[in-house]
Amino acid sequence: MLQYLLKRILIFIPTLLVISLLAFGLSRAAPGDPVEMKLRGFGSDQQNLVNAERIYRETAAFLGLNKPAFYIGLSPAAYPDTLYNILKRDHRENLSKLIAQYGNWEQISAYYQQLLKMNYLLQKTAGQQESNNFRSIRSSIQQLFLAYSDTRITSLLEEAETLALQDSSLQAALQEPILTLHSSYEAIKAKARPERLYIPDIKWYGLDNQYHNWLAGFLKLDFGLSYYDSRPVADKMNDALFWTILINGMAILLAYLLSIPLGVFSAIWKGSVFDRSSTILLFILYSLPSFWIGTMLLVFFTTPEYGMDWFPSIGLGNLPTEAPFWNRFWETASHLGLPVFCLSYGALAFISRQMRGGMLNVIRQDYIRTAWAKGLSSRSVIWKHAFRNALFPIITLFANIFPAVFAGSVAIEVIFNIPGMGKLTIDAITQRDWPVVYTVLMLSAILTMAGILVADFLYAWADPRVSYSRNKQ
Amino acid sequence: MLIGVKKEKDIAEGISRRQAMGESYWAIVRRQFRKNRLAVWSLRLLYLLLFTALSADFIANERPLYCQIEGETHFPVFKQYAVALGLSTWEAQFFQKGWREHDYEKVIWAPIPYSATTIDRKNNNYRAPGDEQDVTSVRFRHWLGTDQLGRDITAGMISGTRIAMLVGVVSMSIAAIIGIFFGALAGYFGDDRFQASRIGLALNILGILASIFYAFSARSFAFSEGTFSVELLKSLGITAAIMGLLNLLARALKRIPFLGKSITLPLDIMVMRLIEIISSVPALLLVLSILAVIEQPSILYVMAIIGLIRWTGIARFIRAELLRIRSLEYIEAAQALGYSEWRIISRHAIPNALTPVLITIAFGVASAILLEAFLSFLSVGVPPEQVTWGSLLRLARSQVSAWWLAIFPGFAIFLTVTIFNLLGEGLTDALDPRLRG
Repeated sequence: MLQYLLKRILIFIPTLLVISLLAFGLSRAAPGDPVEMKLRGFGSDQQNLVNAERIYRETAAFLGLNKPAFYIGLSPAAYPDTLYNILKRDHRENLSKLIAQYGNWEQISAYYQQLLKMNYLLQKTAGQQESNNFRSIRSSIQQLFLAYSDTRITSLLEEAETLALQDSSLQAALQEPILTLHSSYEAIKAKARPERLYIPDIKWYGLDNQYHNWLAGFLKLDFGLSYYDSRPVADKMNDALFWTILINGMAILLAYLLSIPLGVFSAIWKGSVFDRSSTILLFILYSLPSFWIGTMLLVFFTTPEYGMDWFPSIGLGNLPTEAPFWNRFWETASHLGLPVFCLSYGALAFISRQMRGGMLNVIRQDYIRTAWAKGLSSRSVIWKHAFRNALFPIITLFANIFPAVFAGSVAIEVIFNIPGMGKLTIDAITQRDWPVVYTVLMLSAILTMAGILVADFLYAWADPRVSYSRNKQ
Repeated sequence: MLIGVKKEKDIAEGISRRQAMGESYWAIVRRQFRKNRLAVWSLRLLYLLLFTALSADFIANERPLYCQIEGETHFPVFKQYAVALGLSTWEAQFFQKGWREHDYEKVIWAPIPYSATTIDRKNNNYRAPGDEQDVTSVRFRHWLGTDQLGRDITAGMISGTRIAMLVGVVSMSIAAIIGIFFGALAGYFGDDRFQASRIGLALNILGILASIFYAFSARSFAFSEGTFSVELLKSLGITAAIMGLLNLLARALKRIPFLGKSITLPLDIMVMRLIEIISSVPALLLVLSILAVIEQPSILYVMAIIGLIRWTGIARFIRAELLRIRSLEYIEAAQALGYSEWRIISRHAIPNALTPVLITIAFGVASAILLEAFLSFLSVGVPPEQVTWGSLLRLARSQVSAWWLAIFPGFAIFLTVTIFNLLGEGLTDALDPRLRG
């Protein structure tokens, strides 16, 4: 058994690595700049460029985004291996678009340096210059950071030049830098080396990269900081896990408690009115989408609109923590009634169908006939002989319980606004809060695996004939 | 002469015998299927849904089916297809005024004279089905009410039917193609039968790396500038060219003994690992996180992603069937006849494993439709202007007094999912050899 367990875990390691790569790859491919997202709350400090740059750099370092992305990179030889040093994602992407057209990093880099210098110069002279022309020049230069097509860059540069010529004080201060900038752009075009775009180049970045740091942290159970509110991911998940486990646990318990007798009895009384009606009812329940039922219950039973305001509205109630425990308990319990119902009816239908099937298979067997023939009481035959053997399909279902912690109650948590794992995950995905998304993807994979292993154990426990060790076979 | 006649007769007999056999198999299936009344009714309802989906533009459309203005005859609903394909353009008069504001001499409206996106300003702000509505005649009533903007819910439901059917069909077609391919590889070759020469293997790995570089990495600028689908096709063309060339080279170099030495690839293990990877993350989470990467939401991406994730069930099914079939005598006979492996797989092995896959596909369609409905319910991955059952149901949450928004779309989702589940059950019964009498 131990050998089997070790083998399964060993097989699972590469699977987990691939999932981690997938999650990481998705986060790299996703649009949006996490640093910008994080800084959005503070407002961009346009007045003080040096300060803004420093804050940006510090935030990027804080989030670990100032490192290369991965151990190795495969890109055309035209791309420098230090491109990741340009921290601003939109600048970096714009520069790669320039490289993709001209293939000469030396000139493009010189142009970018000129552009940055120009930006500082404008920042410095901003105190003295207030004219409209100056503002237009400044906005042209700002736009140059995000311009990559030849016509666009040329028109922006020419616009800046003509504007500078119109004003004598501007001419003195800015004409020369603008011309230098223009000539550095012309140099890009003149010394284009597009052939370097077709030479593959494998770059080695070493161990200090974003992926490695994240994975190493994950293995040390340090899941990183949320991009959204800088709280540790583990903290956020702690709070959410409580609610999810609570409602899922209650729902699953309820479902098992009801479905096992339901399945057993409808199998024993096969063909009876009870069996037929319960089969139809359960089939309908099984097909009812829980997010529909959740919405219906929310619409009809939590609002005074239809005269059936029997349940409190969404959320978990907002009694302060000083309120007596039992008050808070009842408040929460009344809020959880509908969600737990929505979560349990589907599982109930599914489990009892499985139970009925398993039981039907068993009661056809000879040993059950023998048990009846021996004159055992029906209770003994059903629960002692048949039931235990009919449990196998239920045990395999057990594997599904673990990943349900993450994805099982997404719909219900969103509808009833319960701050559990499902809602956390959905929010993280829509906010592109990748540290949370990585962690959820990885943990749900681990839990799926754990569920399968637990089901295997239970299987061996319920049926002594099942053995996973090889030498016994 | 006589021999020729006899040969012809033999062929004719063979064909008719084969037909008889083929028919008898399907006849059995059909007879078994017909015994299940629920499944038969589901099939009829499915036909109805498919009909609605196909003719959605003719059932609910703000444009008239036929109209006459100033002596000129127009067929706007038909014309909309030509315009969509770029073959034609609308006359200026149709730009200037809304469809309802023209002075028609003769006009035939669609049964529901609204499109899903038509905004009826006179009847906005959640007009209930039974409420008094500001319409010129009963012909223009909003039978299932309107939403906040004044969009007709009936038209929305019909457009939703089309989306749901499209999602089911497209995503499961993608899933079936991938699933059958991988399942067949794993099942037919197992861990022991796939042989490749050293050079072939090396060049194919090289080819994959080169394709990633030349078709995708080096073309990232082209991707960001051009239309995604066109660029993707070009990239796939480049990939095919690279792989084709390298494989030709491999075929030539195989003659050298050292390079031509064959290696056995454990395809079964590789495919099963891939399946394990995909199924170890809940499908909903995987779909959601992939959708987060896409900047421009489109229902097509949703369908493609569902298809790319939901093939594992089909692959497992085909694999299990082919593991059984591959040791049967007729496969051995085909191998003895010297047929190529691909011919045996595609002509002899897969066709015999295909029917049970219908069951998986039926259940798969149900879950794909449910998944898409849930995604639009969350308004993830589906463009905001797209009206689907899920997006209509979402509206019910913001306006609880609009009961019709909660009941009708949800019931449509429920009905469709149930139909496919019942069809799946019916097929299971019909195709299960143990029940066949």
